[in-house]
Amino acid sequence: MSGLYMLQDPLAQTYDVIVVGSGATGGWAAKQMSEAGFKVALLEAGRAVSPKEFTEHMPAYKLKYRDHSPEIARTRPVQKQCYACMEYNYEWFVNDLENPYSTPQGKPFTWQRLRILGGRSLVWGRQSYRMSDNDFKAASRDGYGDDWPISYADVAPYYDLVEKYVGITGAAEGNEMLPDGQFLPPMKMSCGEVLMRDRVKAKFGRTVTIGRAAVLTQNHNGRLGCHYCGPCERGCSTFSYFSSPFTTVKDAQASGNCTLITNAVVSHVDMDNATNKARGVTYVDRLTRQVKEIKGKSVILCAQALESTRILLNSSTREYPNGLANSSGALGHYLMDHVVGGGAYGKLPELKGKANANEPARPNGIYIPRFRNTPTSGKNSRFLRGYGFQGGAEMDFNFGAEGYGTQFKNAVKEGVYQISLGGFGESLARWDNYVEIDKDLKDAWGIPALRIAMTHGENEAALMEDAAVTAAEMLEATGAKDIKVQANVEMPGMAIHELGTARMGTDPKKSVLNTFNQTHDVKNLFVMDGASFVSSACQNPTLSMMAIAVRACANLIDRFKKSDV
Amino acid sequence: MKRRELLKAGAFAGAVAALRPPIVQAQDGKANAELTPAQSGVDASGDLAAPGWKPKFFDEHQNETLIVLSDLMIPATDTPGAKEALVNRYIDVVLAAEKPEGQQKFLNSLSFLDGESMRRYKSAFRYLKREDQDDLLHALAYPKAGSGWTGEAATSDPAHTHFEFLKQRIAGAFYSSQIGEKELGWDGAFAHGPYKGCEHAEGSHK
Repeated sequence: MSGLYMLQDPLAQTYDVIVVGSGATGGWAAKQMSEAGFKVALLEAGRAVSPKEFTEHMPAYKLKYRDHSPEIARTRPVQKQCYACMEYNYEWFVNDLENPYSTPQGKPFTWQRLRILGGRSLVWGRQSYRMSDNDFKAASRDGYGDDWPISYADVAPYYDLVEKYVGITGAAEGNEMLPDGQFLPPMKMSCGEVLMRDRVKAKFGRTVTIGRAAVLTQNHNGRLGCHYCGPCERGCSTFSYFSSPFTTVKDAQASGNCTLITNAVVSHVDMDNATNKARGVTYVDRLTRQVKEIKGKSVILCAQALESTRILLNSSTREYPNGLANSSGALGHYLMDHVVGGGAYGKLPELKGKANANEPARPNGIYIPRFRNTPTSGKNSRFLRGYGFQGGAEMDFNFGAEGYGTQFKNAVKEGVYQISLGGFGESLARWDNYVEIDKDLKDAWGIPALRIAMTHGENEAALMEDAAVTAAEMLEATGAKDIKVQANVEMPGMAIHELGTARMGTDPKKSVLNTFNQTHDVKNLFVMDGASFVSSACQNPTLSMMAIAVRACANLIDRFKKSDV
Repeated sequence: MKRRELLKAGAFAGAVAALRPPIVQAQDGKANAELTPAQSGVDASGDLAAPGWKPKFFDEHQNETLIVLSDLMIPATDTPGAKEALVNRYIDVVLAAEKPEGQQKFLNSLSFLDGESMRRYKSAFRYLKREDQDDLLHALAYPKAGSGWTGEAATSDPAHTHFEFLKQRIAGAFYSSQIGEKELGWDGAFAHGPYKGCEHAEGSHK
């Protein structure tokens, strides 16, 4: 925290809006509200981040352990389960020793978190897909669960707005399951991917499209186009992938209306019981451990789905003994995370050439939108909903070559053309996948920690079994050899797409939020991150989370104008 | 296998219990506990070639055996090999910081090699003639397949498993070294223009 903020004493005033969390959705909330003229305090649990600490251009041989650092194993054994937590950047991820959570026996859950300005937007996978009414209204179509109380038409204008600002590369396909958007020019496909696109279309009628990603293919909104160096998760010196510190948060600060308070570990929302309104939040200074209270006319939680719910559960009052805004009892329930682990990989021997270390590295792959249980495919008898595939095909060095010696050394350089598809399946919303406060566990700041209870069910397993088979079939149709299938159900959390636990709905008895992410119970309290999701769809959710947050902010701005907050 | 996966192909690095706190010397000399060494600009690429280097984990016999083995696995040809890339020293650094299970796993495989060598040649691996070392490695390098005549499935092949484990650790160390990156032809630049993708005419990808 800079000394300036201390001198100004950010706690002496009452803000119009307190935003908790500075990641993908929190950045948007801070930008939208501050640019509309409201005084915003943006609270981030971690420190600020500087481009000086980006390491995307540092070769592995400069690392002492070349990604086998004992420091990661000691302090980040959970975070290390994500590929993006590396010896380069592990300090961006939370220290697992300071940030514990518990899981029931036999129900492991991996929870990947960053506490730093920008949160997970610093290291995210950048894949950006719209949801359609096949997702928002899925329950009406197959009878499982609940519809969203909003439809595609409600969110579409905000998808447009977010995409135009963020910069999403992609190709329009007119696919019934995957609405097109405001795209920057698409990235190119490799030869193997072109083969897959044409042959899969010919044999199965399915769409193989280039990934839609929050990476600039041309200069856009003051940021430079991608220079194709590869490892986005280590930071980007040209800011070519979307991360909030260098876009939305920067804009919020430039408005003159946003006070950024870093190292503010929020423990709970403070209530004014006389008015039944939130009056602010209490946080622990991460470095000094001092407890502080900040006052606001409204509070927006964007702390990450499970963290926002944790804050509400830790905000119990006499009126709300089971957690704030939890008169429904639904808070913490319906936790979802896309199921992964089904797919296939192989080799494409018909494509010749040699591996080349000096090829531009495309930070994107291909995408196959859901083709099961669609309006045109009809109903599948074995499972509900469906899955999409991410994948790719490229010539790579053949590190798996047989033998040893000169033969091995030469074979590595010859290379091998690899092709792969990995499924991301819908995670059905179920009451018995939930989080609650573990009364016996606290984090390093004394804040009660979560107990996370989630398993993937039979439907998710059936999706991954089917994904393994269809992936193998599509690779075979492409001409792949030496195909290996994987029909696993990875532990929940592995997709890092946690959704739900404060779902939206029209019935206050069954849901936590209304259609504008406002809690049913407390008028000036909002949750604008992935916690609001009613169903998970199978698309990577961040784009939808941002669009829904911007929509909710537009509504909040209207309420402020009508003095209805 | 992608390069990133190769980096991870070795056994997951463990930790010894009594490590110093994560204080990092930043470039300006001030301690910063919240940046990784890489984020602070620390360049460890010269560490392994430091004069007077001594193994922290291996004893002399293990270290010498690994040098001989790595030189056979990835020899110098018209380009330098694993020995020149000091893969023994890098593996020593990693193992010194690894958990006892990981350390033992590596030593087990190295001992297996010496055991096979003793059984066949009555001598430790590092002292064998080059052609005997080569013969021994050849015997371990390929997995035993099942019978094509009887349809019998392949059984597990522990000898080959030890070989593969040592090979992957050596290859991981080699191709992540500066010499290894050069072996792959990397020119040292990070940007090579826009990604061009398939430039073939429609329907032609040869």
